Amino acid sequence: MLNERLVTDVLLAALSSGGDFAEIFAEDTFNTSIKMVDGAIEQGVSGRDYGLGIRIFLGFKSVYAYTNDTSRDNLMKVALEAAAALKGTTHIKSIVLARECFHKHHPIMLNPNYVKEKDKVDVMKQAHHAASNYHEQISQVIINYLDKDQKVFIANSEGLMIEDRRVRTRLAINSIATKGNEKQSGFNGPGAHMGFEFFDHIDVREYAEDASRSGVTMVNADYAPSGKYPVIIENEFGGVIFHEACGHGLEATAVAKGASVFAGKIGEKVASDLVTAVDDGTIPNAWGSQNIDDEGAKTQRNVLIENGILKGYMIDKLNARRMGMDPTGNGRRQSYKFAPTSRMTNTFICAGTSTREEIISNTEHALYAKKLGGGSVNPATGEFNFAVAEGYIVRNGKIEKPVRGATLIGRGSDVLQKIDMVGSNLATGQGMCGSLSGSIPADVGQPTIRVSELTVGGRKEAE
Amino acid sequence: MDFKEFKELVFSAGKEQGLSDMEIYATRSKAFRVKAYQEDVDDYSLSVVQGIGFRGRYGQKVGYAYVETLDEDSVSFLIAKAKANAQIIDSDDEIEFFAGATNYPKIEAFNEILAELPTAEKIKSALDLEKYALAADERVSMVNWAATGYSEGEVYIANTKGLEQSFRSNGAYGIVSAVVQEGEQVKTGTRYFFGTDWSKFDAKYLAEEAVQEGISLLNAGTVKSKDYRILLRYDVARELLGTFASVFSAENVQKGLSLLANKLNTDIASPIVTLVDDPLLVHGGASAPFDGEGVATKTKKVIDSGKLTTYLHNLKTAKKDGVESTGNASRPSFKSTVSISPTNFFIQPGKKDFNELVRELDTGLIIISVQGTHSGADSVSGDFSLGAYGYLVEDGEISKPVDQITIAGNFFELLQNVEIIGSDLEFDVPGSFGSMGSPSLIIKSLAVSGD
Repeated sequence: MLNERLVTDVLLAALSSGGDFAEIFAEDTFNTSIKMVDGAIEQGVSGRDYGLGIRIFLGFKSVYAYTNDTSRDNLMKVALEAAAALKGTTHIKSIVLARECFHKHHPIMLNPNYVKEKDKVDVMKQAHHAASNYHEQISQVIINYLDKDQKVFIANSEGLMIEDRRVRTRLAINSIATKGNEKQSGFNGPGAHMGFEFFDHIDVREYAEDASRSGVTMVNADYAPSGKYPVIIENEFGGVIFHEACGHGLEATAVAKGASVFAGKIGEKVASDLVTAVDDGTIPNAWGSQNIDDEGAKTQRNVLIENGILKGYMIDKLNARRMGMDPTGNGRRQSYKFAPTSRMTNTFICAGTSTREEIISNTEHALYAKKLGGGSVNPATGEFNFAVAEGYIVRNGKIEKPVRGATLIGRGSDVLQKIDMVGSNLATGQGMCGSLSGSIPADVGQPTIRVSELTVGGRKEAE
Repeated sequence: MDFKEFKELVFSAGKEQGLSDMEIYATRSKAFRVKAYQEDVDDYSLSVVQGIGFRGRYGQKVGYAYVETLDEDSVSFLIAKAKANAQIIDSDDEIEFFAGATNYPKIEAFNEILAELPTAEKIKSALDLEKYALAADERVSMVNWAATGYSEGEVYIANTKGLEQSFRSNGAYGIVSAVVQEGEQVKTGTRYFFGTDWSKFDAKYLAEEAVQEGISLLNAGTVKSKDYRILLRYDVARELLGTFASVFSAENVQKGLSLLANKLNTDIASPIVTLVDDPLLVHGGASAPFDGEGVATKTKKVIDSGKLTTYLHNLKTAKKDGVESTGNASRPSFKSTVSISPTNFFIQPGKKDFNELVRELDTGLIIISVQGTHSGADSVSGDFSLGAYGYLVEDGEISKPVDQITIAGNFFELLQNVEIIGSDLEFDVPGSFGSMGSPSLIIKSLAVSGD
């Protein structure tokens, strides 16, 4: 993407005021998004993102500058402007770049850039038909198709020079069910670090029908009762509970400065014995996987919690300095417009031994959260919240009735201790995670779990 | 190459390729941010970026494409992709390209003094935010955000019908978030400033307010689950308004995604509620002379004393409804297609200040923060259930801090249940969907879940 001579010159210019590390991240990305409403294509947008970011460290300080203009003159100017933020004397005077190659773990068979628009539309039509024909209460179906082909080039003053290409494909299905004046929506958004062949691996109809089933169930449901009671959380996207309640608190961004309830607790018991949790950026073709992170380090499998004991954090290069620990391949960013920081990749609670049926039949009274929506957390206090997109009341070991409009809140450290059953049916779901370095694709996951007590917010008084 | 030259190249290449109407929507922005940590600059960021959104009509349909560089490659990419995207469109929506208005409002949104504010001053302000927060109380364990920033931007729109307009704006901000601790209890308090007049920025005041809020929440507990009379502080009220602002979009109404369909000229809110969209607001964060289609903007009441008076329109939805565009076409970024959003969107203030509202509440809950509006709120049904914290009020006095609760209700019911409106109107930092403002509001009742 850039020639070696230019890269070396820009890195040296960036270090001219005493910086002890400099990095270039260049990106050339093609994006496609197509929107279908009620079976008719309403919008198609194609775009190309192109730009470059320069990052400089001096001890714990960091400077970041980015631009779209990658001419030599401009890059040298930007590097010097960024360097001007630091005051010191140059001590790195030469850099020898060594191109690094690696085995690609995420093969792409069919780059969506070379797939005809019509074929993409056909996949959307399949989803539309399956979703809209599911039930007479489905009043509208919105399908979004997205693909992204991101080429990155990373070089730094330690001599690293590496390139990667990430292709991601996703289909988002939103089914709206109507009953009288009421509307509820059901959602599924399967995606992968894969090309267009992704659609040979999944059954689009199944996802579409399931979104409609969820919307129809909810439009016919009563409001969830408020109060504190046990909650069973289903697998797949249910894993967003770990992502919000604990994952963000295990990112070095929060830990390095002590702004996390999990800071300084390695080796301590932070969760129930049943909990083992992992962040794994190496899973072949998974949505949150990458060969290398956005600092050029190979992604890896990081055990975060093992049998309830805190084992590790997710660490980027800058926070690794502050923490005196090694980076873990978690330095990620949305694009060249963001400096990277520690972020999750594919994060999940590992499988236990109970079956879903055992968990439900052993529960006297609980909210069964079959599908969760998104959530958020304040890492400093550990207080999280997330929405239940599809819920049911479990009574005397049986699913009694669907309920809607529930929200779950709690504290991360608390909820981890209260997990008292873990299923064997580990599965993952795809999400976009928003934080300091932008919005990035991340898988969440877990088997079915039971939490002995959570605050459930609903519109009805407790039953 | 500047936007104008690039536009000429694209339009002539597009014409050769059979595109009829064409439009460029381009932005250029410059930004700076500095963050302080432990009495030193911790993080420093600067950027200059641009983006060019293009749309073109091929046959009857309009396709979109965007790029970030102004070169020959980009010209051919835009034309080829917009053409390919136009060919897959099924929708029969009529897309109009606006030829330009004879008059545009004059809006001063670029402050030259602010543009010249020295970097050293912005760095000092960030350091001050941290310093004052740390000094404010011994229970401050750390300051996890002390930052200032500046950005300026230019929007340029031009099409083959003759429209050509541009607009510049700038703004600066300061933010401070303090972590306070007492025993095992940890709380945070956050305050920020946004505006074009930096002389109004007061680091000491912001830092002390943030710390005070954190401290006031220490030893918070939950409350019994039941319905409470609620005082929504101005920042929570405007966050809810922003969460549900899309219900006023004519696009959502026409698509059956807003329960405000068929409600024009009917009472949808308490008679004391007047909701205004004012793109001409002096120093407004979302003020602009033209919208995302180049239509001249104007001020209008969306709710007038409880009555719904208009939806927010762009050219396409206005044509469908047989009305004029309200100038609310929105391009959240050069990458986006034309949609609809409010500009400076606010509930008109009443007379009582916050302390009077607390007395008027008598017994109930003050909500000073909600969490999860992106997930726990359904803009179609209006239902929301959100994490929240604040204070319990008994006999007109704050009696204790409250956390680990949720508040649940429905936006449309909430509009009907506004009992008293405060005088403390404040606007949020503008986002890509406008700038929201509200005074504090007393609401008849919301369902609260706690113990």
